[in-house]
Amino acid sequence: MAGVTEAQKLFARVLARQALSDDTYEVEIERPPEFSFVPGQGVRIFWSDLVREYTVTSSPADDRLALVVQIVEKGRFSSHLASLEVGSIVSFTGPHGYFTFQSGSRPAVFVATGTGIAPFVSMARAGITGFTLLQGARHSEGLHYRSVFEPAAARYVACLSEDRSGSPDQPWIYEGRVTDFLEKELVPGVYDFYLCGRRAMVRDVMSIADDRFSGSRVFFEIFF
Amino acid sequence: MKAYTGGGDRGTTSLLSGERVAKSHSRIEACGDVDELNCTLGALIASLPTKDRGLRGELENVQADLFRLGARLATNPDSAALSLLPTFGPENTRRLEATIDRFEAELPPLQGFILPGGHPTAAWAHLARTVCRRAERRVVQCAHESDRTGPGEPLADAIAYLNRLSSLMFTVARVSNQIFGVAERTWQA
Repeated sequence: MAGVTEAQKLFARVLARQALSDDTYEVEIERPPEFSFVPGQGVRIFWSDLVREYTVTSSPADDRLALVVQIVEKGRFSSHLASLEVGSIVSFTGPHGYFTFQSGSRPAVFVATGTGIAPFVSMARAGITGFTLLQGARHSEGLHYRSVFEPAAARYVACLSEDRSGSPDQPWIYEGRVTDFLEKELVPGVYDFYLCGRRAMVRDVMSIADDRFSGSRVFFEIFF
Repeated sequence: MKAYTGGGDRGTTSLLSGERVAKSHSRIEACGDVDELNCTLGALIASLPTKDRGLRGELENVQADLFRLGARLATNPDSAALSLLPTFGPENTRRLEATIDRFEAELPPLQGFILPGGHPTAAWAHLARTVCRRAERRVVQCAHESDRTGPGEPLADAIAYLNRLSSLMFTVARVSNQIFGVAERTWQA
């Protein structure tokens, strides 16, 4: 990226790589001692002539940085990052971004689709509790990190848009999109919404917030 | 990365501190004027000659400052997000003053009011000066509204910076005409 010198970059070894699903991995790298961040912030990773941003999923207290990487079709960068061998060196800058938790009196509602769950994982691992989390996915296979949220969230709802296999012993599953839940299930009120995911989701939830939850605050980060 | 979200198609937008506001909100107006100023500086920089006496570097520093200022304007003063923003303070204004002093030392004394114009680069600088003044007025308006409705905010640094930046733009216009050998025309009352 223009304006970044080699001296500004940090370098860290890959410590571990774990598959979360067929196309999604969690990659852990060393956390350089001089690197600190707030949950919700990310790093800018450099490889070849490319640069991509990834939100950290680990807690700031951890001695390693965890990143969630989804391999996208024709995605040279994501394929490279997800296939790095342990011991490989990654160069990056950071922390970057402002999508961080703002404590206040309004109930917090986290809304994530796909790898947009990443900032909320870091927040939960850092000890933020009492929020409602709507995690959107097509199928239950896309519900990563549920075990992280169960002890932290006041309410966890998995919104499955295509999987209709929910059963009575899985009351946390909602059959429909996150937008359906917000329009039909969430009690009207004033909230702090935190949105992270695809552009269309962010756009639609903003409209719903304006219409149904007037006076709420909306923080967002778009993952493409 | 796509350049649009569609989240503002109905005339509202989100501040960096999360509040949903109309796009006519004074804070958004101020951000818009600072953005327009930055674009005008871009046109000015694009018109500079190769031998520019260091103007390009100085003006690109100002462009980076304006991004920092825009982020601050887009954040309500009671937001914790303020602590994450890049610093913006008196040192930014002091750097502008040092630049003005350096360029002014090479200029002849003013003989009266100068007609805005001359070489196209100088004309861009005069235009940037007036956009800067408008941005300054909007930020002052934001500060006054914030004082009335909430805890107030430390916009004094931003106001001082824009005040000094308009002086720098005047100086840059004069330096540009000097570089290109275009005589300044003074107002004949």
